[in-house]
Amino acid sequence: MSAIEKAVQARESSERNLRPETWSGVKVMNGILKALNIIGMLGLVLIFALPFAWMISTSLKTLPETMIFPPEWIPNDPQWQNFIQAWNSGPFLHYFFNSVLIAGGILILQMLTMIPAAYAFARFQFPGSGILFGFVMVTLMIPSQLIFLPVYLQLSSWHLLNTHLGLILPFASSAFGIFLLRQSFKQVPEELIEAARLDKAKEWKIMWKLMIPMARPALITIALFSFISHWNDYFWPLVMTTNETARTLPLGIAKIRETEGVATWNILMAANLILVVPILIVFFFAQRSIIKAFVYNGVK
Amino acid sequence: MTSRLWEKLKPYGMISPSLAVFGIFFIYPIFYMIYLSFFDWNFVSPTKNYVGLQNFTDLLSDKEFMQVLLNTTIYTFATVSLTLSISLAIALWLNRSGLFYGFVQGAIFSPHIISLVSISLLWSWLMDPEYGLLNWVIGLFGLSPLQWLSHPDTSLMSLILVAVWKGIGFNTLVFIAGLQSIPPSIYEAAALDRSKRWRTFRKLTLPMLSPTLFFLAIMSMIGSFQVFETIAIMTQGGPVNSTNTLVYYIYEYGFRFFKIGYASAAGVMLLIIVGVLTIIYFRMLSKRVHYR
Amino acid sequence: MGRIELKGISKFFKDEEVIKNLDLTIRDGSFTVLVGPSGCGKSTTLRMIAGLDEQTKGEIWIDDKCVNGVPPGDRDVAMVFQNYALYPTMNVYDNIEFGLINRKVPKKEREKLIKDIAEIVGLSDYMKKKPEMLSGGQRQRVALARAMVKKPQVFILDEPLSNLDAKLRHQMRTELIQLHERLGTTFVYVTHDQVEAMSMGDEIVIMNKGVIQQAASPMTLYNDPANVFAAQFIGTPAMNILPSQELQLPSAQGKRHDIASFGFRPEHALFHAPAAIEGLRLDGMVLTRESLGAENIYQIQSSLGMFSVKTFLEPLTSDTLVTVTVPYERLYYFNSEGQRLRQVEVRRGEEIGTAQAPELVSVGGGL
Repeated sequence: MSAIEKAVQARESSERNLRPETWSGVKVMNGILKALNIIGMLGLVLIFALPFAWMISTSLKTLPETMIFPPEWIPNDPQWQNFIQAWNSGPFLHYFFNSVLIAGGILILQMLTMIPAAYAFARFQFPGSGILFGFVMVTLMIPSQLIFLPVYLQLSSWHLLNTHLGLILPFASSAFGIFLLRQSFKQVPEELIEAARLDKAKEWKIMWKLMIPMARPALITIALFSFISHWNDYFWPLVMTTNETARTLPLGIAKIRETEGVATWNILMAANLILVVPILIVFFFAQRSIIKAFVYNGVK
Repeated sequence: MTSRLWEKLKPYGMISPSLAVFGIFFIYPIFYMIYLSFFDWNFVSPTKNYVGLQNFTDLLSDKEFMQVLLNTTIYTFATVSLTLSISLAIALWLNRSGLFYGFVQGAIFSPHIISLVSISLLWSWLMDPEYGLLNWVIGLFGLSPLQWLSHPDTSLMSLILVAVWKGIGFNTLVFIAGLQSIPPSIYEAAALDRSKRWRTFRKLTLPMLSPTLFFLAIMSMIGSFQVFETIAIMTQGGPVNSTNTLVYYIYEYGFRFFKIGYASAAGVMLLIIVGVLTIIYFRMLSKRVHYR
Repeated sequence: MGRIELKGISKFFKDEEVIKNLDLTIRDGSFTVLVGPSGCGKSTTLRMIAGLDEQTKGEIWIDDKCVNGVPPGDRDVAMVFQNYALYPTMNVYDNIEFGLINRKVPKKEREKLIKDIAEIVGLSDYMKKKPEMLSGGQRQRVALARAMVKKPQVFILDEPLSNLDAKLRHQMRTELIQLHERLGTTFVYVTHDQVEAMSMGDEIVIMNKGVIQQAASPMTLYNDPANVFAAQFIGTPAMNILPSQELQLPSAQGKRHDIASFGFRPEHALFHAPAAIEGLRLDGMVLTRESLGAENIYQIQSSLGMFSVKTFLEPLTSDTLVTVTVPYERLYYFNSEGQRLRQVEVRRGEEIGTAQAPELVSVGGGL
């Protein structure tokens, strides 16, 4: 992160040095450009912020207020009970616990399966390691949208449909996580491990005291990515459930539309806020790590 | 002796839980799906009828499926090309450090971490033909209101708009990461060579960014071919099939009409498309290794 | 206490033999330096002593114990790595303590040991800092402390100074020598820098291509090199080696003696030598001069090839024609394999390059 910042700074300073500012007209031009730049960026922010603002505004309106055109931004009398109504329109506490259980369960299981696998791929030479790692990489490229039908049939024959386990198990390990973590285990210098061996440290101690602490940034990246993706997931729980037992928040929110009728946008937006706000708060505080996690997943 | 054996088996033991998960839930299902695509089965009946390639020939002669393929292809290419070109432009613009730039980057990125459910619901409301904010906004520019999702002429375009809106932030930040991996000394050398801005971009930035560009293109294509959530929530494939895409089609045939074999055959088609894209991806991955 | 013996050690990496049948005894309490160009096998030898690499053939003895197959943690050796290999996730205190915990040293004793060692290396104020906060020199001290605290029989140092800047390196060199005197344990030190080797070691092992070229004290190496490689490796600039095919040597006892080249150290060649000095005279032209302040180094082109001369205050300019005299007793002779021929003395050859044949005065045993 800091390396990137440094690179940017270096680049900026170089750009500054290269721009000849010999006459004052250039300065005026630069001033105008600067203003345009800021206006442009504000416009850009607006494109992304306005929909959210609109969501908040709608969630506080009465139903008749939502049916005014041209729309009004500030509701006359904020309808806070919209949130209560949204929350009570379904078993939301149940959904919430399911979401926590499933996203959390996946995260914990992934850590348990992924760390040893990544460690083995990074540190040991064993016959077949190349082929097996290739196998992991192939998995990385298989999206769950592609295989939901056969997995559904499998889970159904094992009676795992509508169970939390059925929603957790298919994601009990993460190819992306293994890939990333192996990379960061590999970056631990061989000398450090040798030093630890000279210090009489056993293998498990090297793993726990040295490798895992050093791979902390990668682990945070993986954890954030995994939790947010599964917290938000709509497709998999939709496909793998037929009743309320294991359904999660996103499903519950989407369902309001059916139970409350299509046009109650104020209630829908209130429910939507319940889903969005926690993530946005987390994003606000851990923006850097989250962006890094997702962007890294894109770059690899 | 036993400890020696344990030393040899240890790595296999450490990777086996993960491999088991991948084998059971990723690799095996693919073969199972291919197998199912040769059968006629309605999921409840105890017997599966072997029908050979019947499912595939049905699929290819089905007008609806052809429509679905066309929709998916249009959706994919429009989404990817729009997202990438807009993102690249924004990335070049926002590639600075500073508090405000960081804020803007965070703002445009935010849709990426929000559930597609929320985004779909929000945009359904924004695109409401009667009271939606979007018609008001285009009214400000003197345009007449649109039907958005409710009319077959605009529905697919509306979905593309949502996908672009959601994808821009992520792609921009990946581009910025790519831009920042270009050593600044190259720009200094170019400036000393009196290279104009556009020329520097064409001859240096773009070629050096091309790995990032290609990978984003392939990855977004793989992603776009599987679009499901927005369609399931916003249009259910309608109106008149104008937004029906591959995964939604498979979902409907599998879970609504219980034509498992037929849906599997459609799944195999998607597998082939994703497979080809993946092979291109791995080709480039190996090329990129040489490039670096 | 800390005597190391390598018996017939060979090491293969894949099919390549990087150490060839190596025999070496490292005296207890010595400061032994393994020196050689990169890839000569010095680090591999060191790592085999530490137990980090396993030898393909042969035995390693530490004191009276064969340590083949003994894991590194049980060999009673401590190592200082080139990049220090400090645990980046632990602070200085924890870094030093880590090995003690693994050795099951009781907490009270650990605290005392670490406190003492911190004072010795002057780190008392930095115990709570992470390695990344420390300067290169401080990291070096932590690495030393971490090794010393275990009170090992053998200290192994793998190019420990190569990452320091020149000034600090000089200072640490002195400190290491003092440390060795104070601890009295065996130090095995690897470097590629012959100056470091000469200034620190009391025993120097010169290696090349997996073979020991010579193992001796610094002065012996300087005065009595065993072969061309050892002769050229020690000393700056390197010893001049010139072909001697034009030295027409009469055969000894009917057999032509095999002198392929001869050599002399740049500092032993004289300009304007008094006629009383008997020696080899070489005519040549000054090509370049490198001035180091007190001394000058000249590159001189002669009919036998280029050689260098190091003198004090002899300001010659380029293109000057000079005659250089090397006293006979300062000449070294080597056979075609590069091995030193001892007890050979050639006299009265006068200027080499003339057709006049020099006279072989005496020929002793080959090596």
